[in-house]
Amino acid sequence: MAKHADLSIDFLGFKCENPFFLSSSPVSSSYDMCARFLDAGGGGVFYKTLTTTIPEECSPRFDAQRKEATPFIAFKNMEQTSDKPYQENLDMMKQLKEDYPNKLIIGSIMGMDEDNWEQMARDVTATGVDMIELNFSCPQMTYEGMGSDVGANLELIDTYVKAARRGSHLPLIAKMTPNVEKMEPSAEAAIKAGANGLSTINTIKSITGLDFDSYTALPVINGKSSISGLSGKATKPIALRFIANMAQDMNLQGVPISGIGGIETWEDAAEFLMLGARNVQFTTSVMQYGYRIVEDMISGLSIYLAEKGFEKLEDFIGIALKNIIPADDLERDFKILPQINYDKCVGCARCYVSCMDGAHQAIDWDNEKRKPTIKEDVCVGCQLCLQVCPVYDCITPGKVLFKEEDQFGKGSLSEWKENASNKRDIIVGMYDWI
Amino acid sequence: MSNSTSIGVKEGIDLKPKQGYLEETVPPYTPFMAMEEASRCLLCYNPLCSEGCPAGTNPGDFIRAIRFKNFKGAAEIIRSNNILGGVCARVCPYEKTCEEACARSGIDTPIHIGQLQRFVTDYEKTTGFKALDPPPATKEKVAMIGSGPASLSAAATLAMKGYKVTIFEEKEKAGGVLSYGIVPSRLPQYVVDEEIEHVTDLGVEIKHNTKVGRDITIDDLKNEGYEAFFIGAGMQVSATFDVPGSDLEGVTTALEYLAAARSSGGKSDIGTHVVVIGGGDVALDCATTARLLGAEQVTVLYRRTREEAPASRLELSHGESLGINFAYTFSPAEFQGENGKVKIVKANGTRSNSAMKLEADKVIFAIGQKPEDISKVVSDIGLDSKGFVVTDDKGKTSIPGVFVAGDVASGSAKTVVHSVQGGKIAAESIDEYLKKGGE
Ligand SMILES: Cc1cc2nc3c(=O)[nH]c(=O)nc-3n(C[C@H](O)[C@H](O)[C@H](O)COP(=O)(O)OP(=O)(O)OC[C@H]3O[C@@H](n4cnc5c(N)ncnc54)[C@H](O)[C@@H]3O)c2cc1C
Ligand SMILES: Cc1cc2nc3c(=O)[nH]c(=O)nc-3n(C[C@H](O)[C@H](O)[C@H](O)COP(=O)(O)O)c2cc1C
Repeated sequence: MAKHADLSIDFLGFKCENPFFLSSSPVSSSYDMCARFLDAGGGGVFYKTLTTTIPEECSPRFDAQRKEATPFIAFKNMEQTSDKPYQENLDMMKQLKEDYPNKLIIGSIMGMDEDNWEQMARDVTATGVDMIELNFSCPQMTYEGMGSDVGANLELIDTYVKAARRGSHLPLIAKMTPNVEKMEPSAEAAIKAGANGLSTINTIKSITGLDFDSYTALPVINGKSSISGLSGKATKPIALRFIANMAQDMNLQGVPISGIGGIETWEDAAEFLMLGARNVQFTTSVMQYGYRIVEDMISGLSIYLAEKGFEKLEDFIGIALKNIIPADDLERDFKILPQINYDKCVGCARCYVSCMDGAHQAIDWDNEKRKPTIKEDVCVGCQLCLQVCPVYDCITPGKVLFKEEDQFGKGSLSEWKENASNKRDIIVGMYDWI
Repeated sequence: MSNSTSIGVKEGIDLKPKQGYLEETVPPYTPFMAMEEASRCLLCYNPLCSEGCPAGTNPGDFIRAIRFKNFKGAAEIIRSNNILGGVCARVCPYEKTCEEACARSGIDTPIHIGQLQRFVTDYEKTTGFKALDPPPATKEKVAMIGSGPASLSAAATLAMKGYKVTIFEEKEKAGGVLSYGIVPSRLPQYVVDEEIEHVTDLGVEIKHNTKVGRDITIDDLKNEGYEAFFIGAGMQVSATFDVPGSDLEGVTTALEYLAAARSSGGKSDIGTHVVVIGGGDVALDCATTARLLGAEQVTVLYRRTREEAPASRLELSHGESLGINFAYTFSPAEFQGENGKVKIVKANGTRSNSAMKLEADKVIFAIGQKPEDISKVVSDIGLDSKGFVVTDDKGKTSIPGVFVAGDVASGSAKTVVHSVQGGKIAAESIDEYLKKGGE
């Protein structure tokens, strides 16, 4: 075995074996399912959200966003809360905690009104689980005043957190909705009302595709469809931005965050951790590939951290936050020209097409020799060509040019000069996984 | 198109192979290609490919690791199961093992498991990642006879358990057939050397130019404190059969011919008109070697048909693409010479009354190998009628404390991957034996 770092980390006072959790959803909807994930190595589970009455569900209830030949990259669901009787769920949660004392078991609840929130919090506490997640974020509830309606309403958040607090002494984690422009106000309201931690994102309101015969969105339910929640890999960039925003928010300093949204690989997970999440949760990737994906998350992250010399996971949490800065603070006095490695170039001209039609017409194309050439005087260094090139290591960052300062201390476009000494710090992050 | 005069007639075909003897025929995957290929994997539940690997290299798990961007984890899976992962990636008969079992064949073509394995082991090298972290060697001393795949695998397994392992190799280089047999265009020497480094990195010592039974005896080793012995001596003798003229200069054997070419980096006497006798992978390696090193005409004589030839289909078509002639259902009848040197090969049809006369200045017997006399290494050891060491399925021999695997073991499947597996199993038996205090 190679050297592996210890992945254990504290979350709201519980020492978790590792930061990998099932998020509340069908993948965590019974004792057996949770147990299989924990046996595969998971650090804990957020149990499927309970309501006191079982919701009516539709069929079919899923659609997927595909992209050509790749496996699906985003997933739309119309599902609500648990489809099992309330008491049965409570019993299973109790059993789970008894059988897995070292794993973090978190119940998830969604109430209809204050009394209901309080009662559920009390019932879940009685099962012996470690914490309770408050679901303020399901975007397809069929009852008004539930789900993401709550997450966008500061007053309701306040009322329901307080209600849950009356019913439980356990740490409360508010699960926030991304269907808002800013998540911070909702998060602050939850913390102020007595929540101890945050988890996000829940699914994003969406329409994935339409049916071309019935003229309806997908999935088609007896000729009709609805807007509902999107999850999966393609939503990760959106999730990451919410995590970064909250982790950088002055009023939320020290509030533990659990990151969710499109996590498939250890690298996806590591990105959330670098932006300040203390652990991560996932659903869609498990629905697609099974609990076994946690094995590669554990292996990949622990090897990476050991190689980077991190003694404990704690030191890695939030390590990237200082480097996420407002766009107007970025340096704009240099450009990195792409360079083409002609030994690798297969002459497809994808770089040429993209530069012609999507950028600055800075690539010449010799059709006879099937050879692209970069016009250095026209190229702005946007590197679109590098993004679209289908050959590994063919177009790479090359020459770095710096703006010369004029007498007013400002650079002008015509005066780009090469200065190789700065280059090493500037060119990173292209094939950083290689 | 410009140099073809009429349809169907190609003129000026360059008959020289484009590829060099020392260049690997199959180009490596780039990371993009590896991701693309791993994405074709169906990620089956209880995948059959993993069951299909004789050495338990576990392709199902390492391809999944690639798919989920855990390249180093993939390297760990490969190395901890198969210390010669980089070698097997290049020389395994996948079409009969993991790839044959691949469920993707039910849709189109199997995943290129060998290529993915090669990508991972190359990646391991480029990044300098150490997939294995051995414990300190505090346990008993174990001696390995020979440094082929069987010994290397047994040695690595024992080193990972904390034994002090020394390999004794009669030749200058370690690796056995890997270093002296297989054509470099399939398995370059640098790959073999790096794989051996993986073994020595675990603390295994290799004593070169030391033949057990000649330069040192088992009794000497016992006196030096070795408490268990592993025989991985392989098959060092080429089989021949009686053909008049066999003693002519220019008539040689596969092992000699290949070893001379490989250890001189292709500078040995290759011959101009070469005739190879045999129809297995070794015969193909001889023919390919000759062709890649510039022999003008290479003819393979095989007594049965193409369909019956044991050589892998891939190697056969590769040989054909290199312009090697294949004369199926022919067997040599006589070698004729001039001034003591071979000049002509006369061959007869095995299934017809055909006869053939071939010009030849090199004739190579590639009809199989057999072990040297192992009783000279360990006296009184149980051997079968053909001289192979008799063993159970755990690598035990008739003598307590002496274990065996690889080609020299009676009944073993004679491939690298089976030798790796045999070595692993025998190492477990050695561990068990020593744990019980040598009983
Ligand atoms: C030309 C050729 C091509 C092949 N191609 C393939 C292939 O493509 N794929 C595949 O899977 N298999 C292939 N094989 C078979 C494969 O190489 C063998 O099955 C494998 O190498 C056997 O491993 P081993 O460790 O038992 O023996 P070997 O590889 O033969 O190694 C034995 C070693 O022991 C040493 N030795 C012997 N006696 C003593 C002694 N008394 N003291 C010290 N050292 C000693 C020898 O010098 C040698 O180095 C090929 C074989 C040949 C000959
Ligand atoms: C089918 C399905 C059902 C879900 N049910 C719940 C739920 O009951 N409670 C909840 O808090 N989140 C629920 N979610 C949201 C997930 O827990 C998670 O926040 C979201 O899917 C984003 O993560 P992912 O991209 O890893 O799937 C559900 C998601 C899916 C796909």
